[in-house]
Order: sequence, then C-alpha cells, then structure tokens
Amino acid sequence: MKVDREKLTSTISSMKGKGYDYLVKITAVDYVDHIDAIYILRDMEAKKDETLEVTLNPKDLWLPTIIDSHKSADWYEREMSEMFGIEIRGRRALRLLLEKWDGTDPPLRKTFQWYAPYNTANPKK
Amino acid sequence: MALTRINIGPVHPSTHGVIHLVVDIDGDTIADVEPHIGFLHRGVEKLTETRMYMQNPPYMEKLDYIAPMSYNEAYVAAVESAMGIEVKERAQYIRVILLELQRIASHLLSVGLLCNDLGQMFTGFMWTFKDRDLVLDLLQEAAGSRMFYVNMRLGGLNRDLPPDFADHANETLNYLEKRVTEYENYIEKSPIFTERMKGVGFMSPEEAKNLGVTGPVLRGSGVDYDVRKNNPYYVYEKLHFSTKVLHEGDNFARYKVRMLEMKESIRLVRTALRMLPDGDALGMPVKLRSPNPVNRIATVNRELPRGEVYMYLVADPQKPYRLSMRSPNFINLAALKHITRGQRIADLFAIMGSLDLVMGCVDR
Repeated sequence: MKVDREKLTSTISSMKGKGYDYLVKITAVDYVDHIDAIYILRDMEAKKDETLEVTLNPKDLWLPTIIDSHKSADWYEREMSEMFGIEIRGRRALRLLLEKWDGTDPPLRKTFQWYAPYNTANPKK
Repeated sequence: MALTRINIGPVHPSTHGVIHLVVDIDGDTIADVEPHIGFLHRGVEKLTETRMYMQNPPYMEKLDYIAPMSYNEAYVAAVESAMGIEVKERAQYIRVILLELQRIASHLLSVGLLCNDLGQMFTGFMWTFKDRDLVLDLLQEAAGSRMFYVNMRLGGLNRDLPPDFADHANETLNYLEKRVTEYENYIEKSPIFTERMKGVGFMSPEEAKNLGVTGPVLRGSGVDYDVRKNNPYYVYEKLHFSTKVLHEGDNFARYKVRMLEMKESIRLVRTALRMLPDGDALGMPVKLRSPNPVNRIATVNRELPRGEVYMYLVADPQKPYRLSMRSPNFINLAALKHITRGQRIADLFAIMGSLDLVMGCVDR
C-alpha cells in the first residue's frame, strides 16, 4: 500500500487502532531515482501483514517519526537513518547505531563506493 | 540523588558477545541502560548485493552462529520464493527435522549460559553443552559439518539423510527428553536460580507488542505468536504441535518457554521422522549462475530459535538488489532498556541472559 509521507503517522496510528499493533520492520530500498521506505505492520489476531511504502525523492530525504505509535520503531529508524541518510523528524538527533561515519555516502545507498569493488560479472578482473 | 554511570563491556563474560552497555544507577537500582552495538557489524546486507545468490549462504550462517542453519534456511527460502522454486516433499521434512534439532541445540546452550549468568558456575553449562554435542553429532551426520553447515540448496538439500539416521536420532532424542526433565528439576529447585528469575524483568503483553519483541521473549509475555503456527511453512501444518505460551512475562517465563519448546521440538522431530516420505531430497547443485528470479520482491518469515526473522528480498537477475533482514536479536536487545528500568543492577545479566542474545545477529 502506497502512503504519502505527510499521512504516514496518522495512517500508522489509525491502523494500530484497527488491530495492526505490531511493527515487524522498517527498512528502505534505494532504487537510485527514488528511495522506498517500507513499513511492515502485523495484525496478530487476524494473521495478516500489511506493507506500507513511502516513496521519497533522494534530494528531499526525510520522514516523520512513528515512535509515538510503536516504541519498536526507535532502533529501526536509527538504523534506516544511518544506512540511507534519511532524516527522521520529530525526535531528537539520532546517535549512530552500527557504524562510525567516515565521510562517505550512507552504506546501503547505491552511490556508496566500495574500497575495492568486486566484479561479479567477471571475478577475475 | 546523583546517578552513577558504569560501563560494562565491550568485552565481558556475561554479555555473550561484544557489546558495550552504559548503565546509569541510582544506588543499586538501574535508572537507564544504553546499549552501544556495532562491534560485530560486517555489513552483510550490503555484501549480499555484490555476491551471486548461492555465494551468500556462508555469510548468513555467520550471523547467528549459535543456530546457523536456521538463518541460512530463511535466506535460501527467500531466494526460492523469488525464483518460484518448489521444495521437494522429502526435503521439506528433512529441513523441518534439521531446523528443530538446531532449535534444541540452541536452546540447550541458552539454558546453560543462563545458569552461568546466575552464579551456578559451569555445572549447568557443562551439562547442557555436553548434550548439545549429541545434537551436533546428528547434524553432522545429516549435513556433513558441526558448526557451519551450508547444507541448503535451491529446492532441497546438499545430501539425503544417512540410512541409520532415524535410529540414531531416536536414541538421542529419548536421552535428551530424560535430560531436559532432569534439568528442569535441577534448575528450578535451586533458589539461586528462581529468586533472580521469578518476578524479575517483567514485560506485559501490550508492552511486548509495542516493543516489537519476538520469539520466546514474546511468548513468555503471553502473546501467542509463532510463525510455525500462524504462518505455517513446509510441513509444520501436518505435524500437529502446540505453541508454548506463558503469561507471567518475567525472566522465568522466558526461560520456561525455551524448556517447553525443547520438549515440543523433540516430539516434532520424532513425528517428522515417522512420517518422512521416500523420494529425492537433493536440491540444485551449487553453480555460480542460478535461475533468474520470477518475482521482483520476495518476503519470507521464519521462526528461528531466537525469534522471527523477516527476509525482504528485492531480486535482480543473478544477485540480490537489496536484502533486508529483520534480526530477532536486534529488536529483543532494543527492549532491554525498557525492561531493566527500575530493576537491580545485579539482575541486569539475568534479564539479558533471558533474552538470549547473539551479537553477530544484532549487528549483522
């Protein structure tokens, strides 16, 4: 299900009222021309998962926090912010969770440069 | 009153891995715990984007090194789902058998380490570790290796079970069943153990859901969710088993869920061995080039010994475009801050032990 960034917080809190009260995961995928932030929510009683997708422009990367609805979003948001360079608004500045920033692009963005690129198409090169 | 700040780790025998805890204490009451993680971060999610599909399983096994096969299976299942590959029926049974054996091995270690953390130094640990070895013997017979198996292939396994596997397994399981009951008597009658477990580290069902915890930690808080039951995969539906849920929500409940799950896993393996059909269980041989995916996005969730892993795979031809893993330990550790607030500093490791964390899986 596609959701606008502006409506994300209200959608998630209204879904929580409808039974989707368990946050499975927040993650993101870098499609180069856009970035999809993915929120997976679960209704445990009805055994249903719902995936919310928020499409972001790489030049305007921010998302509202959903920590008021789900405390579990805390570390997921920190991880996403660190790995994709997405700013999370509505909560205090996030300390890096997994890595030390060395001035390069965020690691899970496709623009991230490997120190020694591994050529899978031709491993001998 | 002024708070005292103490640093625990990054290297500490009771943290079960490399983690740095910054603990603020008021007297001997915990005011706040801030875990600093990332010491074992290897960037596996990024690494998978540069390797062909079947080059990745060895990396997956190094994430959760206490139950490597389970993680590997989840990854291979995600790839199979992307490629639309059906797993052969016999292979499905064998996978269930091996995964449940892996669960027993993992829980045995967890219970042993918990005894260590609570001051029953090495007696409980050595007993469970010895019994874990018997399970590893079985896994070695079936997969060919003791620690890192890499035995999952697309659509099946690297080898079939040896002819006398069922006899060996039943013999070991009979012994283990007796031993698990012995452990219960030994551990649960010890006041050293129970006084630091019962009523400590409480988490209500609502809090457990809000904190997103998973696996035995979630079921120990009275939330009945087990992927094997609620979103069944392979032949779990045919095997008739029950999920173990306790409503106390304390350390003891989390420990007890693992004990009960071990007994249930023993029953599951026995049933699966009895129902094991004939046929072929071998998967595709490992080649660098694998079939091209038919689905762009594949999602798979699996119940690991430590909780639910959720694989979100965006598939490109020949290699993953993006693999995102929901690590059960990551989210269980995030809950530590909330559970420990107001508890005694001496109980910190009892609570951490009851969460059963593996840092390789937290950091990825």
